[in-house]
Amino acid sequence: MKYSPGLPEKNCNVSTEHPLKEFFVLLIGAISILLAVLLLLGLFVDLAVQYIDPKLESELFGSFTSDDESSPNEQEQELQSLLDRLGECIDVGYPVVVRINESDQMNAFAMPGGSIVVLSALLDKVKTENGLAFVLAHELGHFKNRDHLRGLGRSIVLLTISVLLTGANSDISALLTPVYNAEAAQYSQDRESNADAIALHALNCHYGHVGGAAEFFEIIAAPEYDLDWSLTHYFSSHPEAQKRINDLDTLARSQGYAVQ
Amino acid sequence: MIDLYILLGLIVIGYVVGQYLEQRHYRSIKQRERDFIGLATTTSKRPIGKIPDPSRVELVEGACVISVDYFKRFVARLRMFFGGNVRSYETLVDRARREAVLRLKAKCSNADQVINLRIETSSITKGRRNQVGSIEVHAYATAIYI
Repeated sequence: MKYSPGLPEKNCNVSTEHPLKEFFVLLIGAISILLAVLLLLGLFVDLAVQYIDPKLESELFGSFTSDDESSPNEQEQELQSLLDRLGECIDVGYPVVVRINESDQMNAFAMPGGSIVVLSALLDKVKTENGLAFVLAHELGHFKNRDHLRGLGRSIVLLTISVLLTGANSDISALLTPVYNAEAAQYSQDRESNADAIALHALNCHYGHVGGAAEFFEIIAAPEYDLDWSLTHYFSSHPEAQKRINDLDTLARSQGYAVQ
Repeated sequence: MIDLYILLGLIVIGYVVGQYLEQRHYRSIKQRERDFIGLATTTSKRPIGKIPDPSRVELVEGACVISVDYFKRFVARLRMFFGGNVRSYETLVDRARREAVLRLKAKCSNADQVINLRIETSSITKGRRNQVGSIEVHAYATAIYI
């Protein structure tokens, strides 16, 4: 037997495909599967929400509202009476209680179980009754559309998927998190716009005009609140303030609501 | 958001630097393989042909540790969702095996032949989470001098 030295012509152990091709194929595959699963589970949440009637809701989420047993203060009573008057124009199906929480953020939330939490900074900035009425009516709009339950359901779904699939803290989940955030934000922006439309309708019903509705958005559209940083608005759960002002304006015109 | 930018930065750096180093390593491997082409190396337990009176017979070994870059690890982890060939790790093991054999040959470059070549691979970061994987390849053989 004679030994004849030589090198193999090609290396079969290493594929010749470009490494970036595999990267993009896998990444696009993972993102599309994730989006499909999210959309599907989102639809299930929407479906499930229809079966949670107000009575069941207060049984399930009663603990969300009963933290603060103290009797409402004067400011809360004022807001409550404004809310009750607006409630005549929006039928939510159960009594809604308003509470004020101390915070330096300007925001208000619709909580499961039928309570609206208004943060104190919002009350400091929004001066007119119509401006406040719009904020309260907007939250009532969320109750009417049952968005507070949808939002909660979706958060639970997202959290479960991300923890199950990738573990709480991995680089894959860091890359996929913006996908769920973008999906959730888009969904949420649609919900916010719907709530705005309901609120505008309620204002027109209660006051006979929609003047002052956009006060809150005008405050947050001011430059000192502008925190825009490249991609952030795609991931934001609320449409941009200026866009909402324009949308309100368009809607008021198309519905023939008086502005003042 | 900042997490995402850091991650993308790591992937890009991993890809650019990793590809550069890998290509440089392959050029060096191919050059040295050509240099050693005259040194007969087999996995056989017996020498090729008859060697009536070897002057010296010795155990030789070569080892190396090679790591994957961040990009390759990321692609491999994506691959673990779907299954299939983990292509991004192919060059890792290929380079490590060839490098280990070349180091072995460098230790006995004056030998007549190298027989009974064996290669063993082990993972250095086995079982540890969030570690960039690296492997050790150990090649050992018997060198025969005339």
